[in-house]
Amino acid sequence: MTNANKIVISSSTKNLAKVRNFVENKAVELGFDSNEINQIILSVDEACTNIIKYTHNFNESENIEVITESKNKEFRIIMKYRGRDFDPNKMEEPNMKEYFNNFKVGGLGIPMMKKFMNKVEYHHVNPDMNSLTLIKSLQNSR
Amino acid sequence: MEEFNIDIKNNNDITILYLDGFLDAHTSGELEKSFEKLIEEKKYKIVVNFDKLSYISSAGLGVFMAYIETMRNNNGDVKLSNMSDKIYNIFDMLGFPILFEIYKEEQTALEKFNQ
Repeated sequence: MTNANKIVISSSTKNLAKVRNFVENKAVELGFDSNEINQIILSVDEACTNIIKYTHNFNESENIEVITESKNKEFRIIMKYRGRDFDPNKMEEPNMKEYFNNFKVGGLGIPMMKKFMNKVEYHHVNPDMNSLTLIKSLQNSR
Repeated sequence: MEEFNIDIKNNNDITILYLDGFLDAHTSGELEKSFEKLIEEKKYKIVVNFDKLSYISSAGLGVFMAYIETMRNNNGDVKLSNMSDKIYNIFDMLGFPILFEIYKEEQTALEKFNQ
């Protein structure tokens, strides 16, 4: 089920490519450069991967709704999904020196999202609904 | 459909993995399987050629983190080569060059094993 600004996927990593393509097309239309586009699709990929793995435990009967909006020189990608309350902004930044010294694995998705996007907003909408919004500013007047 | 493939070639005691396509949480299991097989075969000197890799997410980065210690503990290493600027920027922004040797050319990575 898609329209110009929304795509709904079942919660499976096989659908990550579909989400990336959807968001990439919107980012191209808005005039982001190729480096910014890569940062945007990577952030959305990381957000959806976390939802699929940790919120939905790979349960494909769950859905993620991905909505794109652009206003006031901001590109907003909103993900709406059912599941437990988890605010990525409350996660501590990893110490990368320690990370590499100890050969750690995983835990880089949220730091990447925060590094590449201008803002990450999270709302627990009602007892079982979440809304995660990734915001990238259009730097130049386009 | 975005795909991911791995070609494997041997150069004396060094194994070269050629990555092609999109490496994300859906496809990273393929790369894990390749590393597991190399460890089973006691092949610890690895060069990963990124020339045809179009995309990598943190799931892909995690595979390299998961195996580098085993390779180094067995007198080997995982050396990376031929990254596009787009891919290198991801590794660089997270600080991966602290731990990984990253070369522009596969040949340089191969030569470093013999120094």
